[in-house]
This record gives sequence, C-alpha cells and structure tokens, in this order.
Amino acid sequence: MNLYDFIFYFFAALTIVSAFFVVTTKNIIYAAFNLLLTFFGVAGIYVLLGADFLAIVQLIIYVGGILILMLFGVMLTNKITNVQIKTEASFVIPASIGVGLFAGVLIAILLKTEWRNSPADIPISTLVPIGKLLMEEWAFVFILLGVLLLIALIGAASIARKE
Amino acid sequence: MSQPLAYFFDSLYLIKPETSIIGFLVLILLYDLIFKKEKWLPYISLFGLVVTLFLIIEQYGYNKFAFQSSTNFGMMAIDPFGAFFKIIILLSSIIVILFSILSKELDVARDRMGEYYTLIFGMILGMFLMVSASDLILIYIAVELVSLSSFVLAGFLKNDSRSSEASLKYIIFGGVSSGIMLFGISILYGITGTTNLYEMNSLLQNFDSTNILMILTMILIFAGIGYKISAVPFHFWTPDVYEGAPVTITAYLSVASKAAGIVLLIRLIKSTFVSQKDTFGYWEMIPAFDWQGFLIIISILTMTIGNFSALWQSNVKRMLAYSSIAHAGYILAAIAVLSDQGLVGVMVYFIIYLLMNLGAFLIVIVIKNKINSEELEDYDGLGYRMPLVGVAFTIFLISLTGIPPTAGFIGKLYVFIALVDAKMLVLAVIMLLNSVVSLYYYVRILKHLYLNKPKAETTDIELSFSLKLFILVLAVPNIIFGLYFAPILEFVKTSLIILGI
Repeated sequence: MNLYDFIFYFFAALTIVSAFFVVTTKNIIYAAFNLLLTFFGVAGIYVLLGADFLAIVQLIIYVGGILILMLFGVMLTNKITNVQIKTEASFVIPASIGVGLFAGVLIAILLKTEWRNSPADIPISTLVPIGKLLMEEWAFVFILLGVLLLIALIGAASIARKE
Repeated sequence: MSQPLAYFFDSLYLIKPETSIIGFLVLILLYDLIFKKEKWLPYISLFGLVVTLFLIIEQYGYNKFAFQSSTNFGMMAIDPFGAFFKIIILLSSIIVILFSILSKELDVARDRMGEYYTLIFGMILGMFLMVSASDLILIYIAVELVSLSSFVLAGFLKNDSRSSEASLKYIIFGGVSSGIMLFGISILYGITGTTNLYEMNSLLQNFDSTNILMILTMILIFAGIGYKISAVPFHFWTPDVYEGAPVTITAYLSVASKAAGIVLLIRLIKSTFVSQKDTFGYWEMIPAFDWQGFLIIISILTMTIGNFSALWQSNVKRMLAYSSIAHAGYILAAIAVLSDQGLVGVMVYFIIYLLMNLGAFLIVIVIKNKINSEELEDYDGLGYRMPLVGVAFTIFLISLTGIPPTAGFIGKLYVFIALVDAKMLVLAVIMLLNSVVSLYYYVRILKHLYLNKPKAETTDIELSFSLKLFILVLAVPNIIFGLYFAPILEFVKTSLIILGI
C-alpha cells in the first residue's frame, strides 16, 4: 500500500463513518458537524483525483455556505436544539432488502465490469480549462444555469413569503 | 472569435422560442415587481405564449443541430418532431393559463400570481429543452428546471396542508429520482466518454451483446424519466401530488410535463440506440440494451396498476391521477413498438389526450368553483343542475375510455394498429382489457352525475357565457376529431422527422 492508497482509504473512511453518524445521531447540531466531516472527506477525494476545481467548490459551497447556513438556521430557531428528531427507523425490513439488493447489484457490476485503466496523468490545474469550456463550448448551458438559479430564487421567495 | 463561440452565435437563430420564453419570464417578473397589478399578468403570459407559438411555426421545417461542437453533433436537435411537441406544450400552457384565470381556488394567493406565472414560464422553458436536448448535461438541466418550478407550483396554496404535503412529497421523490438519474448519466459518460447522444450512438455500435453495465445505466436514467411520466414503479408520488396540488397545476403536470418526459425518452432511444431503419419504418436497435422488452414490461405494469388503483378512488382528482398513469402506460406501449408507426400512435394520442384530459380537469375546476368539492359523493345529481357541464364531462370521460365516436377512440386505435402491425398481440390484448377496466371507473362518475339522487334539495347552477364557450371549445373537438381525424394524421405525418437516422 503506497501513500496514495493510504490517503484515499483515510478520506473514504472519514466520509462513510461521518455520514453514518449524520443519519443516526438524534442531535441536529451533532448531525451538522458530522456533515462537515463528510463534505471534507469528499473534498479530499476530489483533490486526490486531481479535480482541484471541484474540491475548492466543494469546500466553498458546501462547507462554507450550506453548512454555515444550516447552523445559523439552528441558531436562530428557538428551542430547536431540544427537539428530539424522529430517527427511529420505520419499514426496516423492506428498506434493508431494497437497499441491500441495490448495493449488491452495484458491487457485482463494479467487480464484473472490465473498466478501462489508464495511468494517471500528473495533475495540472483544471481551473482554466473549465472556465474556458463554460464560456465557450458550454456557454448556452451556462446561461441556462443562470435561469435555473433565478427560478430557484423565485421559488424559495414564494415559499418563504408571508401569506 | 474562437470556434466554439462562433458555433454559439451561429445557433442563436435556432433557439428563438426558448429565448422568447426567457424574455417573457423576465418581463412578467419585472412587471409584477414594478406595477403590482396582477390582473394583467395572465394576459401578458398569453401574449408571450402566442408570440412563442409563431416563432415555433416559423422554424417548423428546420432539421439541424443547434450549438454544434467540433464533432458536428450539437447540443440541441431542432426538428419537426420537437416542434410538434413544443406546440402541444404551448397549447396546454395556454389552456392552463386560461384555467388559472377561472379557478377560484387560486384566489387566496392572488397577490402571489406574479410568481405563479413566472414559474409556469420556467416550466415551459425546461420542457422545451427536454423536447429538443440531445446532450446529457442539457437534459439534466432541463429536467431540473421543470422539477424546481413544479415543486413550488404544486405547493402554491401554502395554507392548504394538502398542497404543502403534495409539494414536499414531490420534492423528496423528485430529488431522489433526479439523483439516481444523475448517477446513471455519470456511468454512461464513464462508458462512452461523451455526453452527446448522437456521438454515443456511433460509439455504441461496437457493442454486440447486452452489457450488464449498460442495463444498469439505462434503468438508472429511466428512473428520472419514469418519474416525470409517472411510469410504474416510479409513480408513487402521482396520486398525492395530483390530489394536493391546485387543479390547474394538476392538469398541467398530467399533460405538458408528461409530454416532455415522453419525448425525452423517445429521443434517448432514437438517437442513441437505433443503428438503422428498415423500409417499413422499424428501428434496428443496437443490442446494448433490450429496450423493447423493458418498455413492454413497464408499459403493462403502468397501465394495469394505474387502472386497477383507480377503481377504488372516491376523489375525482385522485381518480384522474391514476387514469393519467394508465394513459402513460398506453403511450409507453406505443413506444415499445420501436417503429415510426409507433411514433405516429404516440403523437396522435398526445393531441387527443391534451383535449380530453384538460377538458376533464376543466370540468373538475368548474365544479369545484361552484360546490367547493372534488369528492365523488358531492357530484350526485349534478348532471341535472348543470346540464352543459354534465354533457361535456360525459364526452370527456367517454373519450378517455376510448369509445367511438369520440377522439379517444382514434388515439387508442392508432396505438393498437401499431401494436398489431408489429405482431405484439399480447400487449394489444392487455391494452384492450385495460380499456374495459377503465370503463368502470369513468362510468362511475357518470352514475354519480345522473343516476344518484342529490342529498339535499338543490337549485340549478348558472354558468357564465365565456365559461360555457370554453367548455364547448374543448368538448366539440373531442367529437369532431372522432369522426374526421384526417387533419391530425396529416399534421402528425409531416412532423415525423427526427434528426438523425
């Protein structure tokens, strides 16, 4: 096991273990902090894959934006820390059969397929190529994303507004 | 100017309808923000839709790619087939906006109508893109545009707990299914190394047998599309959302968003998996995935479960929700033929489905305006109190069942012909039996309208002239097209040009 493998397994374990705690913990603050570790682990894997842009975005948006917003939401809401979230599992048996089957299929396919292997390139910054792609080849999609955000904003305002 | 940017500017004339929709979306938003006169909003929207309709008719004959890449394939396919469905989507949008003017249910939210129309335009934009997208990234963004707008619209009556529940259910199911779809898309990209459907076609030609990874990928992607067209087993949200959402939005979801999903499915199959077409119009498929078998199973499940669940419903909106699931099943059966004739069936069916389903929902809105209920029990004896509504509802329901001389019969007939021609007799028989089952619950509404005595003494209910006219405009074509359907067929046949093979 070389250093890269070690780093990968470290981040993978971090992601999975913290994700598990996010789902099982009854305290919403603990869940939020565990989510931070999950996002961080995913960002680490991105770095390892040479996707520097994705890793930065992951940190800025998820850790820096969404998570902080979530904590603020908890902070500004009265008495939410004392609320017991309903985490007891319902429909355990059908759910585990379904999830187990799906996981089985995924693992079987993962092992059975002959994936194309190629030696990893030396990571170079993806920032400039992504920017170029978004502004040239995918300019239309980029504009549409703006419309999508506008729609999301209007929708959120419509939901949050007082009747 | 760099090459890709030149492609971008060269293609702008091909996306005039989409540009017009975005323009009117912004216009409605600004008008609402500055003038705050919600009375004029629907008319601005209608004007926008009519302008867009002209732009689509203007570019009806085009058959080329927009936003080409260096490989000569483009992000969007602008062809008559897409234009046909864009017209269907626009017509249903126009009708739904007229519904929204009428519906009293939306009165509680009159000061938020600016958002309502903006979101409807967002949905139209998404559906237009779904209809013509030929690139996985664009497909995903289009699906998200439709989803995000319709989540909010389904929960538009915030003070009604049913509506909020509908919205929440829609969001949860929608989030999961688009996540699954995205997973499928990412694997597909991993297999082929491209996101363009047409490029994928040439790469997949060397798959000579079914590939287990391909099967998984397609099932994952179908989860996203199946959710949009409410195909079993991705239909669980349909009854609750259709029942809880405002009737106008229910009508819209059941026609327009379903049409967009169906076209997306057809385009995915047609441009990615068809290797060539024989002289009779049957498609020769790349054997990477057995679309025919898969679609047959899904279609049988969808129509059967839809029809049998509808039998027990006591809420008319919920019943129509299950009936729309069943209709999705019939349409999937027509796609399963995998031939041009099957597509004729799909297109004829959609024109007629638009008329009869929106008609049925109009009647539900009218009755809800008058007696404020959608329960079947409250419909007792209404046929005598509102004669025109009763007769029109009868026409729509008979048409939905598919009995001559209504248009619904013609729609079913063409699907049926395509199935029989392709020697898929079992599926044809199952479809026939399903129609018989559906007769029971459609006629049950009629029984309540005419045969059951109302509980209390009641008086006749008067309708305004414009409302009567509107009902007739939807009801009369259901009879006319049942007897004289040559123009529909003509229009469908000229529109049956899909970019590619």
